[in-house]
Amino acid sequence: MSDARRRLIIGLLLLLGGGAFLGWLYGRPELGLLAAALVALVWQVRLMFVFDRAVRTGNFDSIRYGSEFWSQAFSRIDKLRVRSQKHKKRYRRLLKEVRKSTSAMPDGAIILDNKFEIMMCNPAAQELVGFDPRLDRGQRVNNILRDPEFGAYLQSDDYSDGVEIASPIRDGDWLYCRLVPYGQDQQLLIIRDVTERVRLNKMRRDFVANASHELRSPLTVISGYLDALATDASVPDEWERPLSQMQVQASRMTNVVSELIELSRLETAGAAPTDSDVDVPALINTVCRSYEDQIGVPSIGCTLSTDVHLRGSQTDIESVIRNLVSNAVRHTPSAGSVTIGWIRDGEDAVLTVVDTGEGIAEEHIPRLTERFFRVDKGRSRAEGGVGLGLAIVKYALSRHDAELSVESKVGEGSTFTCRFPASRVLETPGELTAQTG
Amino acid sequence: MQSTDISDHISRRYNADLENLRHKVMTMGGLVETQLANAITAIVTGDSELGLQVARDDYKVNRIEVAIDEDCNRLLATRSPAASDLRLIVAIIKTITDLERIGDEAEKIGFLASKLAAMDRPTDSYRELKSLGNHVMQMTRDAMNAYVRLDVSAANAVVVEDEEVDQEYETIVRQGITFMMEDPRSIKRVMNVMWVARSLERIGDHAKNICEYVIYMVEGRDVRHTESDGDDG
Repeated sequence: MSDARRRLIIGLLLLLGGGAFLGWLYGRPELGLLAAALVALVWQVRLMFVFDRAVRTGNFDSIRYGSEFWSQAFSRIDKLRVRSQKHKKRYRRLLKEVRKSTSAMPDGAIILDNKFEIMMCNPAAQELVGFDPRLDRGQRVNNILRDPEFGAYLQSDDYSDGVEIASPIRDGDWLYCRLVPYGQDQQLLIIRDVTERVRLNKMRRDFVANASHELRSPLTVISGYLDALATDASVPDEWERPLSQMQVQASRMTNVVSELIELSRLETAGAAPTDSDVDVPALINTVCRSYEDQIGVPSIGCTLSTDVHLRGSQTDIESVIRNLVSNAVRHTPSAGSVTIGWIRDGEDAVLTVVDTGEGIAEEHIPRLTERFFRVDKGRSRAEGGVGLGLAIVKYALSRHDAELSVESKVGEGSTFTCRFPASRVLETPGELTAQTG
Repeated sequence: MQSTDISDHISRRYNADLENLRHKVMTMGGLVETQLANAITAIVTGDSELGLQVARDDYKVNRIEVAIDEDCNRLLATRSPAASDLRLIVAIIKTITDLERIGDEAEKIGFLASKLAAMDRPTDSYRELKSLGNHVMQMTRDAMNAYVRLDVSAANAVVVEDEEVDQEYETIVRQGITFMMEDPRSIKRVMNVMWVARSLERIGDHAKNICEYVIYMVEGRDVRHTESDGDDG
């Protein structure tokens, strides 16, 4: 390499020296030098043109002449060109494979940039939401998927959950959308058709609701006649015990049915209204008072350290408090105590129900809100629990964007905490008209 | 160097402003589409709660309209847009009026749905209204898609579609009149059905208007009232 360079320099020097010598022979060395320099210049410029043409046309075969230096440069560039072409081919093949695999994906996949503008989408996405790959590149994805819920999801910071939205192109279809951020400022939007699942869920809910309604009317008749028989003096004495047993069981069944109905109502209802005022301290006081005259229950106390109200449904919040308190009372010996608290924690409002009862083993805590789940199968049924209370609490709270958390130690007691976000807290009661029912 | 940086920055801000404005219109469109879909569902399934919910939520549409209007005024005042930017903003100002009207009609339908839910339901459970509603829903959706994609041919298709909606509306009215003549007791219910059909038909007209703004925005050509050589004003 340096060899060729050295030879080029030596060749140039020889040419210039030769020119100067010839000029000196004729008595004008400077003219000879100039002529030699011109010859060198013309030669190199010519090579430059050849080089330029070769680079432009990509045809390097025609330039295998010229001085050693230039031909080396030519061949080096040629080598680079061949190598880059090979790379390009490989990348193109790779890209094709990736494209093929994303097109084979049954789920819609859309690559978005940091402003949610569409960069690429696969055929499944085109089919599911009607993207037009030609017209929609660079379009914000929520300009096309205009469902307000999806918009709110994109604006939120937490993408872990995904949203279910109605399909914009097929009526009655449902899509599950989830955003997965990756790399720098890029995100992948995954869209899945969940119509079947939504339909099955709805069928299940409808079935439970219908079955409960169907059970309710015969039950009313049965308990009506049982009540009449129990007070009837002409009924023989030996029937007294069976009758009272039947009454107890009938009323238990009525409770189950009405709680099932309540649960299916909560499941289908959307978010609770934000424009009605729920006076939580008053509700807590009412619930406390309802236990005052009862014998054999633990002592119930209230700590109301704030008097903010909530935005939401009065019935739901009342049922949350009642269910939590009756749960606590049922699992606490009469010597113990149950404390209901209403406190502010930063912007949030927190409702706590603390008991000194038997506590719950850790492995049971995650399953507490399942329907009909019981920690101790035999016991709580005898004490009148239905097994739907905490499920109702969970659904009622989720209608209010609130969360239920449970802490417990076996033998020491449990703490149930409901945390309401700032958006549900009503700082200045009276701003909204109070709504009952 | 510095001066070009600033001008670049300003124009980028301007672009972002316009893009955000467009996005807000689409958000409003999405809200209106949802309201309309819910209103139609409320009618078809006889869900009075959903109907009232639609009527209650109309304030959201109005609120976003006011916000967009303010943004448009601010952009007009601060950027003095020209040519296609000006057409975009003018079209947006008109579009949101139509969207807001669609929202109002949806509110009306929701309210009527809650009233109809309390009355006897006909055996066909409002099949005609469902068909008309779906038609209008599709038109609104297509109009918004044409708007966001600036797709003139799709916009033209919606404008043509509106005639079919008008015909369907005519059929429902004629059918309603027959019902009322046959059985005067059904007058109250059928009147409500006709109001719903009327609202749906109006929504079709508004969707058509929006498509005409799309054509105006892209081609700078006003295609309103051109069918009859402009003599219907």
